[in-house]
Amino acid sequence: MAAVWTFALARLAGVLVLGLILGLFIGPVWVGVLVAFGLYVVWQLRNLYMLDRWLRLRSQLDPPGVGGIWGEVIAQVVRLHRRKQYHKQRLAQLFRELRRSTAALPDGVIMLGRHHEILWFNRRAANLLGLRRPSDVGLRIDNLIRAPEFVRYLKAADFAAPVVIRPPAATETYLSLQMVPYGAGQSLLLARDVTRERRLEAMRKDFVANASHELRTPLTVISGYLDTLAEDSGLDPAWTGPIRDMRSQARRMNAIIADLLELSRLEATEEEAGYEPIDVPAMLARLQRDGRARAQRRHEVTLELDANDGLYGAPQEIESAFTNLLDNALKYTPVDGRVQLRWRVDAGGAHFSVADNGIGIPAEHLPRLTERFYRVDSGRSRSQGGSGLGLAIVKHVLQRHGGRLEIESVEGKGSTFSCHFPAHRLCAASVRTDTVDAQPDRM
Amino acid sequence: MEIADLTHHTSRRFNEDLEKVRNQVLQMGGFVEEQLHKAIAALVDGDSKLGELVATEDYKVNGMEVSIDEECSRILALRAPAAGDLRVIVAIIKTITDLERIGDEAEKIGHIALRLATMERPADKYREVKHLGRHVARMVHDALDAFARMDAKAALQTAREDRMVDEEYESIQRQCMTFMMEDPRQIRRALEIMWIVRALERIGDHAKNMCEYVVYMVYGKDIRHTSLEDVSRELEGPAEARR
Repeated sequence: MAAVWTFALARLAGVLVLGLILGLFIGPVWVGVLVAFGLYVVWQLRNLYMLDRWLRLRSQLDPPGVGGIWGEVIAQVVRLHRRKQYHKQRLAQLFRELRRSTAALPDGVIMLGRHHEILWFNRRAANLLGLRRPSDVGLRIDNLIRAPEFVRYLKAADFAAPVVIRPPAATETYLSLQMVPYGAGQSLLLARDVTRERRLEAMRKDFVANASHELRTPLTVISGYLDTLAEDSGLDPAWTGPIRDMRSQARRMNAIIADLLELSRLEATEEEAGYEPIDVPAMLARLQRDGRARAQRRHEVTLELDANDGLYGAPQEIESAFTNLLDNALKYTPVDGRVQLRWRVDAGGAHFSVADNGIGIPAEHLPRLTERFYRVDSGRSRSQGGSGLGLAIVKHVLQRHGGRLEIESVEGKGSTFSCHFPAHRLCAASVRTDTVDAQPDRM
Repeated sequence: MEIADLTHHTSRRFNEDLEKVRNQVLQMGGFVEEQLHKAIAALVDGDSKLGELVATEDYKVNGMEVSIDEECSRILALRAPAAGDLRVIVAIIKTITDLERIGDEAEKIGHIALRLATMERPADKYREVKHLGRHVARMVHDALDAFARMDAKAALQTAREDRMVDEEYESIQRQCMTFMMEDPRQIRRALEIMWIVRALERIGDHAKNMCEYVVYMVYGKDIRHTSLEDVSRELEGPAEARR
């Protein structure tokens, strides 16, 4: 580098000295120097011109073969250009691979811009949703996927869970669509074919409902004969014990089947529960009485009514849910235990809770408690004769009423099961009295 | 909003208004499509609840039509659009009328499905009607797609489908007449089926109309009451004379 510049300066000095000598010989000195300097400038300009021409038409011309600093500059440019070319190729290759891998994804992927306009989509998305390239790029996604559920999903802008639609192009299939927002207002739309899962789920539900229904008839016959046998005084006394056990197990099986049928009925109706007024305080008073009768004074059952308001919902379902919770509390509370029912209303809605000071539930079981037939330990509930479906029913009933179930428990200290209902389900006491007055035979 | 379809305006607001009303039309279309699907499902599966739902939800379609209509009048009054934009507005006003009628026909099918659900279902489970229903629903879907994409070629292709729908309609009609002659006890049901296929055939016509508005919107050519062959021959030639 430095050598090139020294050489260039030396060359300039040489030219000037030559001009000086020429001037000394021929005429005035300044003319000689000027001519030499002028020639030097012309030569440099020519080099500059060649460099410029080459930079403009780089793809067609070879780099000009000039030496000195110009050669050095050209070499630099060539090197820079090569490096850029290399990076560009690598980037292009990376991009190609990325595109190939997203195209191979089993799920449809669509990139959406700020106004939900389509920026890019992979082949699977095109197949699933009937998109066309390139004509659909730039169109708003809700102009092409017009299913009302999806439009509502986009408008609500709550993308926590996917939405399932039936694309009009193929009505037999189900698509699950999930928006994933990222960056500045952009989002990814993931589309997945969930037809198989849907079908399996429907099959499972049908199976449970049908099997329970079919089991009921034979069981009725068996319990009927067992009842007759138990009353038969001419029977060998050795059979009394076994028949008593058989009767109690048959009763239990009946309860399980009833719960299963109830559960599949709750599952089959997807829509929200109706809006019938329910007098919750009266219902709870009734529950308390029943609970006391069943506990036979072995437990203390108290009721704390902080509000006189009721609920709008399906009365049988709510009663079945509350009864299930009370039954559970009675089952798992030892003799002389306390079970406290509480009903209160605040700005967030209405809350019903059942608190006991029973054996409690270890924390690791809490998340799975509402699964069907889930047992904290197998010895515990079989002896109590539960169906294992109670909490699942409670959960479904609450879901249908827009509410949720909350469970707090400390092992050895007791548990609290709370049902939270949203404010729009609340039925103020005054309103309820009116309706009850209007239809006195209803309650 | 940089939507490639619509011409760029000095007024951004105008662009947004136009795009918004177009989006509203397509959402209305989506709802009508779903009504139609539900109505057909109610008939085929004998689901009286679904039939009732379709019949009671029709008021929503009417509401959408009124609000889009108002929006269009507002744009006409405020922006005084010209050329292509004016055509878009005119096409929208016409399209929503047809969509609303499709909604009405779907409502009618829902009502009849409600009545038929209580009757005995035929052995073929309304296979022909289901097929015709699918075909017509597909047409409505394609017409709306053509509208969304401003794709006149696809619109013409969809409009051509109407002839097949008419043929299917006639064949089901003949079949119904045969049923009635064979067994007078079938007359009541056959008559109800006739009403349904008639409604489906009308929906096909409305879908065809919507396709014609798309062609009008894109090319500025009124192709109603002309044969589709003439139109496609003419349009395929000077395809560039769009704007």
